[in-house]
Amino acid sequence: MNTTASTPTGGSFQGVNDFKLIGRQVHYEQLSFWLNPLGAIFTIGFSTVFLLIFESTSGKSTIKALGGIKLIQYYVPGFVAYGIMSSCFSVLSITIVNRREMGLLKRLRLSPAPTWILMSAVFINTMIVCVIQIVLMLVVGRAFGVHGPANWVPFLLAVVIGMFCFTALGMGVSTVVPNADAAGPVINIVFFVVLAFSGLYYPITPGSTLANITDYLPVRRLIVSMQDSFNNIPGTSPWAWHDLGVIAVWGAVGVYLTLRRWQWAPRRG
Amino acid sequence: MPAVSVSHLAKSYGDMAAVKDVTFDVEKGEVFALLGPNGAGKTTTIEILEGFRDRSGGEVQTLGVDPSNRATQRWLRTRIGVVLQELAVEPFYSVRQVLTRNAGYYPSPRPVDEVIELIGLQEKADQRVKKLSGGQQRRLDVGLGIIGNPELLFLDEPTTGLDPSGRRASWDLIRQLAASGTTVLLTTHYMDEVEALADKVAVLFKSEIVASGTPTSIGGRDSGIVTIQFRLPEGVSVSDIPAPSPTVELGIVRTSTDDELKVLHELTGWAIDRGYALPGLAVTRVSLEDIYLSLTRDEQ
Repeated sequence: MNTTASTPTGGSFQGVNDFKLIGRQVHYEQLSFWLNPLGAIFTIGFSTVFLLIFESTSGKSTIKALGGIKLIQYYVPGFVAYGIMSSCFSVLSITIVNRREMGLLKRLRLSPAPTWILMSAVFINTMIVCVIQIVLMLVVGRAFGVHGPANWVPFLLAVVIGMFCFTALGMGVSTVVPNADAAGPVINIVFFVVLAFSGLYYPITPGSTLANITDYLPVRRLIVSMQDSFNNIPGTSPWAWHDLGVIAVWGAVGVYLTLRRWQWAPRRG
Repeated sequence: MPAVSVSHLAKSYGDMAAVKDVTFDVEKGEVFALLGPNGAGKTTTIEILEGFRDRSGGEVQTLGVDPSNRATQRWLRTRIGVVLQELAVEPFYSVRQVLTRNAGYYPSPRPVDEVIELIGLQEKADQRVKKLSGGQQRRLDVGLGIIGNPELLFLDEPTTGLDPSGRRASWDLIRQLAASGTTVLLTTHYMDEVEALADKVAVLFKSEIVASGTPTSIGGRDSGIVTIQFRLPEGVSVSDIPAPSPTVELGIVRTSTDDELKVLHELTGWAIDRGYALPGLAVTRVSLEDIYLSLTRDEQ
């Protein structure tokens, strides 16, 4: 039997609670993530594998320029930043492009579930994956004798601003990638090249040409702000306001790009 | 009040008109087919009716409300179902999971098991979507369209890619929905689908409606030329046959007329007088496909 149409009032209807709907939607987002175990393990385990490789090859090496900290102590904050960037930027943007090109975004848009609920669930799911990566990195780091953040409040602030920035950039970049085939290669190649030049794999000397260029990018700024909050490096403050400011500006660029270019329908259509 | 009312609808992208001056109504409980070549504006029209796309001009009412009105859009979407032209189902969920998720968006959804049965996927209910065949995925797509128990169902080429038995099963489902009072607006390229399902049909060509009516009357189909054919009796010359310009091909006589009663009367009288049986005697009207092709000839 069909429901009898009553006079439409406002944008709501009885029977479906919005907050329950967010919970359900997050559940299905998580389900979708974990039902693809290869993708989930690769996303979450990638930084751990990197850390294991670096630890096994670097031994007891230290970095003089950063107050003589162990190399592994340098990598852990960097890979915490990587966890934020990979889940909020590369995984999110590739997922969004794939969903758009498969018509999944269009189908969801045509359902009665409000856009804010659908998008909130995507962001909450991204945050969950991100937090899992951060916690895993801290635990693995601790196993190698790496201490956690020396200053938790600046660390958490950097995490929150980093999540905002890279989620916004992930959404924004998804709007300029034309098709699903291009999404993985284009996003990952750009992402990993910028990571390499921003000091994820080796320290970049402040004031060098490379540092002067990558200082304009949020990737370097997030890595540096993580280092500062973790390591109490002499001459640096755990409150990396300048870094966080640059990251926030890039987040605003991502929001602008998303609002200007967002589309629910496949580009091929 | 019609379920869908479209009056002088226009949609353009820059200088390019996707839809021009389109007007039609779909009555409640009706199955309405929108025909037209690729790029004629069918999907754009449907997307405007769904509230997915804004229009550039004209008036549109879907279930009594303007689909572009944000204030009533959510209300409207609880009452419509949509089956998209492209297959759009998440690959990692099971059939039951994806239907259960979407059922949660609606205030009065159909029971998930009922939908699984309606789309004939009982055996595959717990199988991942990516393991289904293309036809089974298409059926699931239809299932997602009806899970909300819609009053109005939009089907954009719902049987494209299905095998003949899958098409028949989909037709049965659409008939069942229509019989229970669901209004159906579908687009298709298959003329047999229109003849099997549609109460009314409109042809979109170059962004405009060029003809509309019932499948049996559109384009003057009910009053136009008919073809009469029969097997040529032995020993009879084609010039003896009392019909306008008869032709013979592989022993079959064909003649076309717009006055079939008179021609049939003369022909059968002539045959009875001479004792001929006229085996295979048949009268055929111009097919819907012929009408469609003539209406959209420039494009073909």
